[in-house]
Amino acid sequence: MPDPNAQPAPFVLDRSFAAPPPLVWRTWTEPALLARWYRPNPMCQTTVLEHGLHTGGLMVVQMRFGEMPPSYERWLFQDIEAPRRLQWKQSMTDAAGNPVGNPRMPDWPRVMLTTIELQAQASGTLQRLTWQPHEATPAEIACFAGAAAHLDRGWVGGFDNLGALLGALVDG
Amino acid sequence: MLRPPPPPATQLDAVFAALADPTRRAILARLVEGDASVGELAAPFAMSQPAVSKHLKVLERAGLVARGVDGARRPTRLRPEALAAATTWLDAYRALWDARFAQLDALLHDLAHEPGPETDDA
Repeated sequence: MPDPNAQPAPFVLDRSFAAPPPLVWRTWTEPALLARWYRPNPMCQTTVLEHGLHTGGLMVVQMRFGEMPPSYERWLFQDIEAPRRLQWKQSMTDAAGNPVGNPRMPDWPRVMLTTIELQAQASGTLQRLTWQPHEATPAEIACFAGAAAHLDRGWVGGFDNLGALLGALVDG
Repeated sequence: MLRPPPPPATQLDAVFAALADPTRRAILARLVEGDASVGELAAPFAMSQPAVSKHLKVLERAGLVARGVDGARRPTRLRPEALAAATTWLDAYRALWDARFAQLDALLHDLAHEPGPETDDA
């Protein structure tokens, strides 16, 4: 069930894959397949330590890179509609499961409500990833996420179009 | 050119909270056109100057604007570098997902060519 306090559009990332939705679904929901892609780069090793694919179920993922201490993620599944929609709350945690900040991205919110939606298309699958920070003030941060979506779409890597960018924020 | 270090978590939260309000976003849009006094900012909203000042305090705490000390006028100036910091955070997060999906793409190609039950797309 979506958080009732989180209203406006979250951040969105669309991507197409040349594979049918049921196969893409399996890469998200089968631990052996997830471990083969869910990592920042191929030098990292991902291991699924726990996996309960049901509402309220938990997945724990460990990621190792060289000699560095491993990092962990927890997913708490909220909504599962095979093979179309998967929603979960996601956190970086320590080995004991306590949420921690990401040392590489210190401003990363501790918990993200994350959703993937898979849609069949002629060339395979259109996947939509949406996320919104799920914090103590979800309404404030979700409101910004709507503005942030405009920020991201309008940003051209410089301050040249700041006026048009902020105009989009006013209209949005 | 070296990028500035990322702002502390609390500062970025202040930016998010500041931008969550449509009136404050409109104030920022007006400041893109140039510095403005409190009276000039209040006029389009039919809002009292104290009400606008409250919004300006939120924007100032977030580092999004700077306010002059020039007597009663206290012109307000936009600080676009603060907005840049917020978008840098978003860009980094999206880049992380892009990197993961590049590997997902490669895995899906491998699965299409691997022998055995994993290639069944039942």
